[in-house]
Amino acid sequence: MAEKLLEIKNLKQYFNQGKPNEVRAVDDISFDIYKGETLGLVGESGCGKSTTGRTIIRLYDATDGQVIYDGVNVHDKKSKKDLKEFNRKMQMIFQDPYASLNPRMKVLDIIAEGLDIHGLVKNPKERKERVVELLETVGLNREHADRYAHEFSGGQRQRLGIARALAVNPEFIIADEPISALDVSIQAQVVNLLKELQEEKGLTYLFIAHDLSMVKYISDRIGVMYFGKLVELATAEELYANPMHPYTQSLLSAIPLPDPNYERTRVRKSYDPANHNYQDGEEVAMREVTPGHFVYCSEKEMKSLKAISSSK
Amino acid sequence: MEKILEVKDLELSFHTFAGEVKAIRGVNFDLIKGETLAIVGESGSGKSVTTKSIMRLLPEHSSEFKNGHILFNGKDLTKLTDKEMQKIRGKDISMIFQDPMTSLNPTMTIGKQIMEPILKHRNVSKSVAHKEAVDLLRLVGMPKPEARMKQYPHQFSGGQRQRIVIAIALACNPQILIADEPTTALDVTIQAQILELMKDLQKKINTSIIFITHDLGVVANVADRVAVMYGGKIVEIGTVDEIFYNPQHPYTWGLLSSMPSLDTADEKLYAIPGTPPDLLSPPKGDAFALRSDYALKIDLEETPPFFKVSDTHYAATWLLHPDAPQVDPPLAIMERMKKYPGSRYYEGTEGGTY
Repeated sequence: MAEKLLEIKNLKQYFNQGKPNEVRAVDDISFDIYKGETLGLVGESGCGKSTTGRTIIRLYDATDGQVIYDGVNVHDKKSKKDLKEFNRKMQMIFQDPYASLNPRMKVLDIIAEGLDIHGLVKNPKERKERVVELLETVGLNREHADRYAHEFSGGQRQRLGIARALAVNPEFIIADEPISALDVSIQAQVVNLLKELQEEKGLTYLFIAHDLSMVKYISDRIGVMYFGKLVELATAEELYANPMHPYTQSLLSAIPLPDPNYERTRVRKSYDPANHNYQDGEEVAMREVTPGHFVYCSEKEMKSLKAISSSK
Repeated sequence: MEKILEVKDLELSFHTFAGEVKAIRGVNFDLIKGETLAIVGESGSGKSVTTKSIMRLLPEHSSEFKNGHILFNGKDLTKLTDKEMQKIRGKDISMIFQDPMTSLNPTMTIGKQIMEPILKHRNVSKSVAHKEAVDLLRLVGMPKPEARMKQYPHQFSGGQRQRIVIAIALACNPQILIADEPTTALDVTIQAQILELMKDLQKKINTSIIFITHDLGVVANVADRVAVMYGGKIVEIGTVDEIFYNPQHPYTWGLLSSMPSLDTADEKLYAIPGTPPDLLSPPKGDAFALRSDYALKIDLEETPPFFKVSDTHYAATWLLHPDAPQVDPPLAIMERMKKYPGSRYYEGTEGGTY
C-alpha cells in the first residue's frame, strides 16, 4: 500500500462564493488514496462527504486546491482528449439506483454508453458480448440486456450501476452511498460483490456512506468529516478501537448494534464544538498523533492525545 | 399483561393487473399494553401492509381482507365503516411515517397541523388546542415552541420535522402508536435522539408501540418483543433476547448474520442468496426454503406451523419438529447462542439445558 493513486491537497468547494449565502461545503481538506485500497468517508448529511466525491471526479469545479491523480492535477484546464482519458479511469456509482438509470433506455444501451463514448468496441456484436460479460460479472445474465430499468429490483439496479461503471475498465471508483437504498440482506450481496471485484481487478475505491458498521467492514482506512472539514483519518480498526476526535467518539457512540445487552448499557456521547475552546490565533490542523492516525486538533490537544494514547 | 390489540389469521390481497398479490398470508400477533413490538423483514415482506391494514389506510378499490380480524377494544377494525374508523384513526391509534419530508403539508403552518387532530377529535376551543400544541412541541424537545408554531415545514431540519410528526401523532394520547421506519431517513446521531425521545414519551403516556424497521440495531435498542416477517407471514416471534440470542428460524439466522457487527473480522459477509418471493404466486411450503441452506424436503411441500420454543417464543420452521435432523446454525448465530441460558449452546453456568 505504498503507491499513491490520488492526492487531495487543500481542496475547497464553496457554493455561492462571496455572497451572503456562501456555503463552505468542503473547507480545505487534504488526504491521499493509495492504489488498491478502499478509503471510507463518513459523516452526517450535509458534512460535505458527497461534495468531496463529486469534486474529485469533476462534477463540480473546485473552488481551490488540487486533486492529483497519478501525478496530474485533474482540475487544471486540459484538452478534451486528456479529459476523456481521465474520465475513463475514474467512474462513479450513485446512491439511488432508481434515479440513476435512464428509464427510456435498454440495459444494453445504458451499460454500453461508456463503451460508445470511448470507442472501446468496434461493432454491434462485440458491443453486445462485452455487455453480456459485464452483466455476468455482476451476477446478472444475458436475458437482462434487453430489458428496461423498471423491470429490476433495487439490488439488481445497483448491480447495473456497478456494471456501467466497470464497462470502461476504470482504475478508481467513487461509490456514493451505494447501499443506503437497499435492504439489509441485499446490502450484504452488493458489498461482497464490490469486494470481489476489487480483488479481481485491483480497483481502488472511495466509499462514501453514513452506515458506519458497513463502512468499517469494507474500508481499509476511514476519514470522518464534520462541517466540511476532515476531523479524523485512520485505519478502520484503529478508528473504531481508538477514536480520538470527540466528534468521532460521539458518532460511534450513536450507532445501535444488533445486540440487546450492549444496547441496554450503551451511553451516547454528544459533541459540542464549543468544548474545544480554541484560542484566537491557535492553529488547528490535521496532526499525526500516532503513526497513520490523523486528528484535526490544536498543538495543545495533540499533546494531551499523545499522552493518553501512550498510557494505553 | 393486558392485550390491547389482537391480530388473528389476517389475510389480505391486492388486486392488480397482473393478478392477485397475496401480501399478507395469515398473520397472528397480540400487542400488550405499554410494550414495544418491533416488526422486521425485507421490503415486500408485508410489514408495512400489516400496519396499514390496522390503520385501514390501504386503497379500498384494490385491497381486500380475505380472512381474519383485528380486534381493538373489542371492535373488529376490519368491519368498521369509514366514519367509525375516522374516530379511531389519529385518536386511539396513530402513526408516524418514514419520510418526515413528505408526511407534513408544505402549505400549512406546523402549528395548524398539530392542532388539527386535537380540534377534530376532542371538543375543545381553538385557544385550548393552541396551548396544547405548544405543550406538545415542548414535550418533543423543540426550542422556542411559541415562535415555531407559525413556521412552515421547510423551515425545519429532518430531525425537527420528525419531532413535529411525533407531536401530531401524540396529540390525542393514543393507546397505540405505529411507527413505520421513523428513523430510516435520519442520520445516526439524530436517530439516536429520536429513539430516546420515543422511549421517554412511551414511559410518560404508557402507550403501546408497533415499530417497523429493517435496522436490527434499532430493534435491539427499542423493542421488548420482535416479530420477524417473511413472504407475508410472521416466521418467528419472541422477546428481544430470544430473537437475538436464541433465534430458531433460518431466515432470522440469515438476517442476523448479514449485518456486520463492529467486531466482525475480515471474512466474507454472509449474504442471503436470491431475492424475496413473488407474492403473485407464493411458493408452496416454507416461503424461505428456496433461499435457505437448511431447507428440508418437507419445506417445499407443507407450510410449517408455529412450534413453541418457550411461552413467549414461537417459530415457524420444520427444523423444530421432533423428527427433524438436528442442525448447527451459522457460526455467528452459535456465538450469539452461547450467551443465552435457554439455548443448547449455552456456555455459562446458570444450568441452561436444551
